[in-house]
Amino acid sequence: MSTLQETRPSERLIVPDVQEGFWTRFQRRESSLAWLFLAPGLLILILFIAYPFAYGIYISLTDAFVGFAERNFIWLENYRRLLDDPIFQKTVRNTFVYGVGTVPFKLALGLGLALVLNQTFRFSRLYRAFLLLPWIVPTAISSLAFLMLFNGVMSPISWVLEDWGIVSGSINFLGDPINAIVSLCVANIWRGVPFFGISILAGLQAVPDDLNEAAALDGANAWQRFMAVTWPVIRNITLIATLFSIIWTFADFQLVYVLTKGGPANSTHIFGTYSYQTLGYTDIGTAAAISLYMFPMLAVLAVILLRYVRRDD
Amino acid sequence: MTEDRSATLIAEAKAMRYSRRTVMKRASAMGLSAAALGSVLTATGHAVSAAPNRAPALLQGGSLNMLISTAFVPAAQDFFNEQATTWGEDNSVDVTVDFINWPDLQPRTTSAVQAGAGPDIVEMWDAIPYLFSESLLDVSDIAAAAEEVQGGYFDWVVKSAAVDGEWKSIPHGNSGAAMAYRKSYFEQAGVTDPENNFPATWEELFEVGKILKEEVGKPLGQALGQSLGDPPGFCYPYMWSHGSMEIEEDGTTVAFDTDGFREGMETFVNAWPEAFDETGLGWDDSTNNSAYLSDQLSATQNGSSIYLAASDPEGENSNPEIAEDTFHATLPSGPDGQFAMLGSRSMGIMDYSPNQDEAKAFLEWWFSAEPFQAWLESFEGYILPPGPTFTELPVYVDDPKLAAYLEIADIARNKGYAGPSNLKAAQASSQYVIVNTFANAIQTGDVATAIEQGAAMLERIYSR
Repeated sequence: MSTLQETRPSERLIVPDVQEGFWTRFQRRESSLAWLFLAPGLLILILFIAYPFAYGIYISLTDAFVGFAERNFIWLENYRRLLDDPIFQKTVRNTFVYGVGTVPFKLALGLGLALVLNQTFRFSRLYRAFLLLPWIVPTAISSLAFLMLFNGVMSPISWVLEDWGIVSGSINFLGDPINAIVSLCVANIWRGVPFFGISILAGLQAVPDDLNEAAALDGANAWQRFMAVTWPVIRNITLIATLFSIIWTFADFQLVYVLTKGGPANSTHIFGTYSYQTLGYTDIGTAAAISLYMFPMLAVLAVILLRYVRRDD
Repeated sequence: MTEDRSATLIAEAKAMRYSRRTVMKRASAMGLSAAALGSVLTATGHAVSAAPNRAPALLQGGSLNMLISTAFVPAAQDFFNEQATTWGEDNSVDVTVDFINWPDLQPRTTSAVQAGAGPDIVEMWDAIPYLFSESLLDVSDIAAAAEEVQGGYFDWVVKSAAVDGEWKSIPHGNSGAAMAYRKSYFEQAGVTDPENNFPATWEELFEVGKILKEEVGKPLGQALGQSLGDPPGFCYPYMWSHGSMEIEEDGTTVAFDTDGFREGMETFVNAWPEAFDETGLGWDDSTNNSAYLSDQLSATQNGSSIYLAASDPEGENSNPEIAEDTFHATLPSGPDGQFAMLGSRSMGIMDYSPNQDEAKAFLEWWFSAEPFQAWLESFEGYILPPGPTFTELPVYVDDPKLAAYLEIADIARNKGYAGPSNLKAAQASSQYVIVNTFANAIQTGDVATAIEQGAAMLERIYSR
């Protein structure tokens, strides 16, 4: 007691108390609190992302088959063998075609929709809600709807086009390699547009009206106003949405699996479906290697896009 | 209420002299439980030899989960569920059954084995017991008892379900594929008495198919998409009937690329646009069923499910007109013989299961004569039994239209022939090597390259 009375308050703050316990010191440090808050998230990341990822890398370096205890470490043999695998070569090509054939369309249509829905008109809120529908319907269910639309024998699309005299018989949507990949792209675009639409719409809400009005008064036309006023505000959110969309498209599975299972003749496999097909006969080492081939490509893409976003920040 | 319905059915059955099959169909339509059905069968004189329905007391209070494939005959799925539930109630075991599409059985089992947890009993299709042979309990004792009940196992069952001659699961037969065809359309195409004069060779079938497509407007239908049922059901027998196979008996020499097969493939590729519905390249196991049932096709290779669905007056695909006009024939032959692909399903107990006693008790009961016969009958002839005992059941012999399916066993080969349905055969099947050789040949028109690529893939698989 006497020591405390003799010490001025400012000195008590500066001079550390050698008798102070661990818990008190822990509470006092700001970094401790930060770690405490981070811990749950970090634990989830380690348990459900980092550990499976590391385990996936380990498995891909072995000749493991599920259910068989014997497994050997074979380094990069699975990766090397895949390079000679014609189905894997098709898979890589298809994944890029699938990405390139969908993401730009999703971006363009999503941007267009967002610009339209950013206007105020009758039932505009209702239309905004409708925009979300393809996004909130579970993919497996919307894929089944597309499976029905693209049915080779009883497709409503074929019926309508036949009735209009545009085609003379059923369209071979999923039985022809080119038609099949185009059909997949169409279904993917339909499902993916709302994500772009809603993300960009959120960005557009942040564009100040007075800036637009000022630009209009200065004589800027609609295109100039978009480029000078709107685009700088929504650019980052658009790039982030694009990044996510590329990742999701590359890592897609459900749509392709439901519609074609990678067929006909393996012509529509993407990484996810080919990996699943390989896992079907328990070859988990090769299946892991197929999936992990995706990782460096997406990582490079993510770094480039994020650096671009940060540079302008 | 159940007593009332049972009494009504007993009276009805006695008055109308119902067959056992009709009693079961009516019971299903009236929503009777398996227990109630049992009493109706007994009262109407249709009961078979009694089997103990009660497991040892030590099981009571346990649980049991099964992973079973969905049935193409829906009433049969309900019936199995009833059987399992009733057995569980009788033995105080909490029984649950999960039904999933059969192509998903393999990946679901893979996940369960990798996780070391999941269903206690898994229904396996051909080649799957090989994949999980180290994760399955040895059930040779139950398989031996079941074999006695079946009067021995057929060759096609042993070759497709046993793992190197050992029973890691207990076989219960499977559906086979034949040609389901519309008699009236074949008559219009100039085939006199198709029932006794169905095209005997592939070439003859393709010739009639051209007329069927061009003049009758009803092409042949064949699924060639990436699906594990109907596409291989056609491609493997067609390959075998043209002197080609995945592998020689030595298990290492690929024997796929043969002159006879190249010729046969050339014939098929030429016939495809002229005789078949060309969208078949994108069809799965169900597309040909729906195309046939919606009167788009004159014939398709399938199990008896199309006919059974059309015949069922209470089913959603009921179509008496199509049912009446539908007949079946075994697949045509090629220069090297007539074949069909057949592999048995089987029930396996997973070694990670904490409920192995319950699983064994259930399977011992289920594979005994009475419940197994009742289960076969619930499929109305769709499932071929694994042995000869039940082949004389009314469901197989009463309806002459289903006779072709019983003949399949005599011409059946397994995936991976002339080797066993092992891991390599499973890989070739999962990668659709054979099916995609056909699809590639049609798409590119380059038969030689398609077969060479298929052979190269088989080499890669079998040399690993």
